[in-house]
Amino acid sequence: MTVTIENTNDMTIAHLVGRLDTPTTAEVSPYFEQLQNAADGTVLLDCKDLTYIASSGLRLFLSLRKVSIAKGGKVIVKSLSNDVRQVFMITGFLNLFEIQ
Amino acid sequence: METKLSHTDELLTQYRNLLPVFEKMAEVIPERLKDFFEEAGIIVAAVEHRVKTESSLTGKLQLKGEKYQSIYDITDVVGIRVISFYNDDVDKVASVLERLFEIDWENSIDKRKAHEIDSFGYLSLHYICRIPESAYSVPGHPELNKIRFEVQMRTVLQHAWANMNHDTGYKSGVEIPNVYKRNLSRLAGMLELVDDEFSRIRQELADYRRQVQKLVASGNLDEVPLDGDSFKSYLQIGPFDALMYRIASINQAEIQPVDLSNFLPLFKAMGFHTLGDINKLIKEYSEAAYQISCFQIGLTDIDILSSSVAPQNLCTACILKRGGGSLGLTWMLDVLNGPSEVNKAMAEFLLEQTKDLPFMNQ
Repeated sequence: MTVTIENTNDMTIAHLVGRLDTPTTAEVSPYFEQLQNAADGTVLLDCKDLTYIASSGLRLFLSLRKVSIAKGGKVIVKSLSNDVRQVFMITGFLNLFEIQ
Repeated sequence: METKLSHTDELLTQYRNLLPVFEKMAEVIPERLKDFFEEAGIIVAAVEHRVKTESSLTGKLQLKGEKYQSIYDITDVVGIRVISFYNDDVDKVASVLERLFEIDWENSIDKRKAHEIDSFGYLSLHYICRIPESAYSVPGHPELNKIRFEVQMRTVLQHAWANMNHDTGYKSGVEIPNVYKRNLSRLAGMLELVDDEFSRIRQELADYRRQVQKLVASGNLDEVPLDGDSFKSYLQIGPFDALMYRIASINQAEIQPVDLSNFLPLFKAMGFHTLGDINKLIKEYSEAAYQISCFQIGLTDIDILSSSVAPQNLCTACILKRGGGSLGLTWMLDVLNGPSEVNKAMAEFLLEQTKDLPFMNQ
């Protein structure tokens, strides 16, 4: 699992690649902390190459959303694969994020 | 003439000496008032303040300076104006002032009551106030509790009229023809009516909300029309909680509470007219909604769910049982999550998952 963070003029983009399961969640947590620091603006999670997400990964997304709301920012989830989107749907997470 | 001038000079000297105090009062009192209004739940459009300028005071003193023994007799050097949205809030603002300050009733005036029955015009409530020592005092500065200040309270519309009237009828210094005066009076009458209407509508809305809350609390949901207010009250009693707890128990999942108000457009689009209709949906489809989640998460390690799963599954089950199929589910996802190309694929996925569940064959 890799996370690459890119800052553009109007947003912070995180490219998530691989499986976000319990072991990898711990690995990528520091990147999400970095994203939380930028959560007063727009954070875009590019999930084009995210192949799997477990509950621990959903919690990372959720924490980022909470911080973003508190700071008046916005989290956009982009390009979910069908498999990951299905997890978002059955857990009710589709309603939580702006999905592109 | 000489005596009058020297008396004016004396008052102006007192004014200059006290000017820093006047300015401080004009700055601090509005800020404190805003805090108190917020605590009392009163929303005001603006709190303005000004300190009378020396030239304005000079003009006043030249006209009626002998009326004042000292600068403390002039009650409007510091002027504050509280502008509220509704005319019944003017009285609430007044009651806050009565609690905070000592009111000089003799010099305060309710211009709302001062009108003749057949005339319209400037409406405003003016209080002359003083800071009581019991509320605030600074050793060595007794003047703080001696200075009186004026607080004008009016609505936004009264304020607008007063400004227009001032600009057109008074400030120019030219006597305006009666026809224009009459038009300004007509306008005042109309704004007075509008102010009353705004207050009446607000009162009726508050009554309606109370009535809805009462009906929701008493369980008479069939009598409550489905709208933004009623749905909000309904959500407060947690109508989907029992189902949600049951679903979460499948995996001992944590429930992430979320705002469910985005389901209102979906419920309305599904043809529900009352809260009773949603209650029927819960009664009729809870078992089906539970079966959907059992199938979806029962064999996974998912242990976090948003509280929207319960209403989402209820709607899914209802649409499928009504024969909506894939198209119906796509429509549901379009309404809930916004139109998207992928909703069709998600609907197909849902259909595939649910087609063999017991509720589909009952």
